[in-house]
Amino acid sequence: MLKALDEERRPGRIRRIRRGATALGVAVAVGCGVVACESSLGEAAEGGMFRLGSDQPIDSLNPFVAVVSESFSVFQQIYPNLVQLGPGDRYVPEFATDWTTSRDGRTWTFHTHAGATWSDGRPLTAADAAWTLSTIKKFQDGPAASMASHVTGLVSATAPDARTVVLTYSRPVANVLTQVTSVPILPEHVWKKYAGGDGGALTTFTNSAPVVCGGPFTLVKYVPKQVALFRRNPEYYGTKPRIAGFGIQFFGTDDAMILALKSHQLDGVQNVPNTSVENLEAAGFEVVSSPGLSFDSLTVNANPKQRAAHRELADPRVREALDRAINRDEIVRTSLLGRGRPGSSIIPPGTAHWYDRTVTPTPYDPEAANRLLDQAGYRRGPGGVRIANGHPMRYPMILPDDTSSGYGLRSFQIVRSDFARIGVRLTPRLLDNAAANDALAADDSKEFTMSMWAWSGAASDPDDTLNYLTCRSWGTLNDTGYCGREWDRLYAEQGAAMDPAARRRIVDRMQRMAARQRILLVLDYADKIEAHSRSWTDLPLVGGESFSAESKIPLQSVRRAG
Amino acid sequence: MRSLEYAVRRGIFTVVTVFLAVTLNFFLFRALPGSAVSNLARVPDSSPELQHALTVRFGLDRSEWDQYVLYLKNLLHGDLGVSFTYQRPVSHLLLSDLQNTVLLAGAGTLGAIALGVLSGVVAAWRRSSALDHLNTSLAILTYSFPAQWLGLVLLIVFAGVLPAGGMSDQFLFQSPPFWRHAADVAAHMALPAATLILTAYGGYTLVVRSSMLETLGQDYVLTARAKGLPDRRIVWRHAARNAMLPMVTMVALDLGFVVGGAVLVEVIFSWPGIGMATYTALSQRDYPMVQGCLLILTVSVILLNFLADLLCFRLDRRVTA
Repeated sequence: MLKALDEERRPGRIRRIRRGATALGVAVAVGCGVVACESSLGEAAEGGMFRLGSDQPIDSLNPFVAVVSESFSVFQQIYPNLVQLGPGDRYVPEFATDWTTSRDGRTWTFHTHAGATWSDGRPLTAADAAWTLSTIKKFQDGPAASMASHVTGLVSATAPDARTVVLTYSRPVANVLTQVTSVPILPEHVWKKYAGGDGGALTTFTNSAPVVCGGPFTLVKYVPKQVALFRRNPEYYGTKPRIAGFGIQFFGTDDAMILALKSHQLDGVQNVPNTSVENLEAAGFEVVSSPGLSFDSLTVNANPKQRAAHRELADPRVREALDRAINRDEIVRTSLLGRGRPGSSIIPPGTAHWYDRTVTPTPYDPEAANRLLDQAGYRRGPGGVRIANGHPMRYPMILPDDTSSGYGLRSFQIVRSDFARIGVRLTPRLLDNAAANDALAADDSKEFTMSMWAWSGAASDPDDTLNYLTCRSWGTLNDTGYCGREWDRLYAEQGAAMDPAARRRIVDRMQRMAARQRILLVLDYADKIEAHSRSWTDLPLVGGESFSAESKIPLQSVRRAG
Repeated sequence: MRSLEYAVRRGIFTVVTVFLAVTLNFFLFRALPGSAVSNLARVPDSSPELQHALTVRFGLDRSEWDQYVLYLKNLLHGDLGVSFTYQRPVSHLLLSDLQNTVLLAGAGTLGAIALGVLSGVVAAWRRSSALDHLNTSLAILTYSFPAQWLGLVLLIVFAGVLPAGGMSDQFLFQSPPFWRHAADVAAHMALPAATLILTAYGGYTLVVRSSMLETLGQDYVLTARAKGLPDRRIVWRHAARNAMLPMVTMVALDLGFVVGGAVLVEVIFSWPGIGMATYTALSQRDYPMVQGCLLILTVSVILLNFLADLLCFRLDRRVTA
C-alpha cells in the first residue's frame, strides 16, 4: 500500500526535479550565453575585443619590480619605447621617428614624435625618455637592478629639447637598439616622486589601474592572477590599433586554456603545447609555428675543480662521447612530436639572423661514443656500467620543474636510454626551480653532475645568450661550471663591435667555440607555437609572438576577418 | 559551568595550536633548498646586483630569527607582509582569494552533503534492491576518483557547453548587472563544484546509509509502522532526523577542510582561490604569500574544528569535558 502510494507520487516529484534541473540548466546557459553576447557588445562596433589566454600571469605592473616576460609584453603595449622590433626582426621607429649614431659609436641621438600626450593629457616628450633611462642608470645597483642590462655603458641620457634624446656611452655599444627596445618610457610626472633618496619607493609603487599610459593601449582593468584588459588609446601618437581592445586571461593549466580556445571563450593562445597542435588544427584554428627563441640543453658540469667523484665529466673525451650518444632526431620526433629541430648552436634559429648554420647537430653515433670512452680507459664493470677513476659512471640528473612538467621528461628518458648504451647510468633528481638553482650553484658549482633545462634569449640580439656563459654570470645565470677568459674577451669584443659584419664574425666564432668545447649540449630547438581563431586576421608574429615584449605591431595590426 | 570550562580548555588548546602552526609555517619553507631570490633572479639580464637588490627588498638579508620576530609582530597587527612576486599586501591578495574559495568549496560541500544525504537515505530505504546496489556502487566509484582526474574529464566532456576556466567572463570593460554576473559565476562554478560534489558525496552516502539502517531497525520505527504512518513520513521525519547525528560530526569536521580542500580543483579550473594562490606561491617561493595561505588554511581548520568540538559537546552530552 505504502509502495503504491509512493509510486503514485513519484511522477510529480520527477517533474519537480526535472523543473529544477531545467531551471538550473537555463540559469547556467543564460550565464554562458548572456555573458558571451555581452563580451562582444559595444566593442564589436569598434573592432572587437581580442581575447588571449596565457599560462603565465603578470607579476607586477611596475617595471622596476616585474621579472616575467608577460609583464614586459604588457609594458610594451601601454608605454612608449624609443624603437621596436618589426617583422623580419629589424628595428623600426616607435616613439623615436629616426635616430643617428656618432662616428665613434658613443653618442646616439633619437628624434621623437611631436605633440604626443599621455593618457592623462600631459605632454609626452623626449624628457620622459631621458628621465626613465637616467633613473635606471642611477639606481642600477639597487631598485633598478632588473633593468641594469638595458643601460650597459650608458653615461648620460639627456633631452636638449622636447623632441630629442641624446644617449652618451662610455664606449661603443653594439646593441643599443636592443637595449632601448626593452625600456618602457615612463611618465616622469607620475614616477618622479618615487625616485628620491635611495629610490626604494620605485619598487613599492604598485602602479595600479588606471595606469597613466602612452602606448597604443591603456590598461583599464587588472585583477592579479586573473586578467588584464586593455582599451585602444585614442591619444596614441602612432598607428591606432584596429581593435577596440584586448584582454589576457591567465590559466592554471594548459588543458583548460586550450579547451577555452576550442570553445571560443578565447580568440588566441600563446605557448600551445605540442600535444594540442593537431587537435586545434582539426578544429579549424590557425596554428602558427615559428623557430624557437629557446633551446633545451643538457649541462654536464664543466668545472675543472668539481668533486673527484665525477671529475671525469670535465674530460673533453667524455663530453664528446656523451654528445655523440644523444639521439637528437629521436628527441625531436618523440618529445617535440616533430615540432622543432635538433639542437646545435647556443644561439637558437629564432634569434634574428644570428644563428650560425655551420654549427650542425652532433650526429648520433653510439659506436663512436663507446670508442671514445674505451680510449679514455673507462672500461665496463658490473652491469655494463663503466668505471671511471675507481667509481661507476652513475650520475644524478637535475630535472627542474620547468623540464619535468613538460616534454622534458620524455627527452630525459631518451637521453637516459642513449647513455645506458654507452655504459653511463642516469638517475632523475626532480626538484622545483628554486631548489634546482641552489643544487646547481652548491659549493661553487662543484657538486652537481648534470642537469637539463631550457634557455631563452631575445628575438633580435644574441647578447643575452652569450652572457649566460660569462664568468660574471657565474652563480646567477651561468650554471654550467664553465668560466673562460677567451669567452669573456670575445663577449666584450662583440658588445663593442659597431660594424655588424665584424660583430657577426665574433658571434659566429663564439658559437663554434661553445659547440667545440661542448660547454652545453644543445638538444633541440622547440618551435614557438601560437594558435588563434580564424575570425581574426592580419596578426603578424614578431619574434614568434603576437603579445610581444619587443613589438607593438601585432596587436596594432590584428583585426576581425571579413 | 561545565560548558564554560570545556570551551576555555578547548580555546587555550586552539590558541597554542595556531601559534605552533604559524611558527611551523614560517620555518618549514625556509628549511627547503632554494629561495625566492634565486628563483626570481633566473631571468635574462640577471646579475649579482639584482640578486642583492632582491635579497634586501625581501628582507632576506636579516637573520631568520629577526625575520621571524618581525613576522610575529606584523601578524599581531594584522599585517601579513608584502608578496615577493606581486609586491602587494598579502592580506589584500588573499582576501578575494578566500572569498572565492569559500564560495566554491562551500557550494561543493553543501552540494555533496545534500546529495550524500539524499542518496544515503534512499539506499537505506531501498536496502538490497537494485537501486541500493547501483547507488552505493556509484557513490564508492566517484568517491575513489582523484579530483584532478575527474575535473579534467568533466572539462573535456563539457568543453563548449560550460566555461573552461576562471570565475567569470573576464573580458568585459564594464561590470554587468548583478544577476547577470551571478548567473555567469554560477556557469563558471558548475564544473569545479560538480567535481567537488562528485568526489565527496560518496562519503556522506555511506555514513548516512549505515546510520539510517541502524535507525530503521529501532523499536520506535516499528511502532510507527504498526500505527500505519506512511513509509515516507517514517523515513524522512522520524528515521532520517535521528540518523543525522554522525553526519553532524562528519560535516563539522569536513568544514575545516572547506578552505583547503579545493586546491587541485582550483588549479585545474583556474579558479582564483586560496588553493590556486598556494600552488603559485609555493612554486615561486613567495614566502609571505605561502605563509599567508598556510595561515588561512591552518587557522580555518583549527577554528572550525574548535567549533565542531563545541557543537558536538552541545549536541551529544556523552562528550565529556
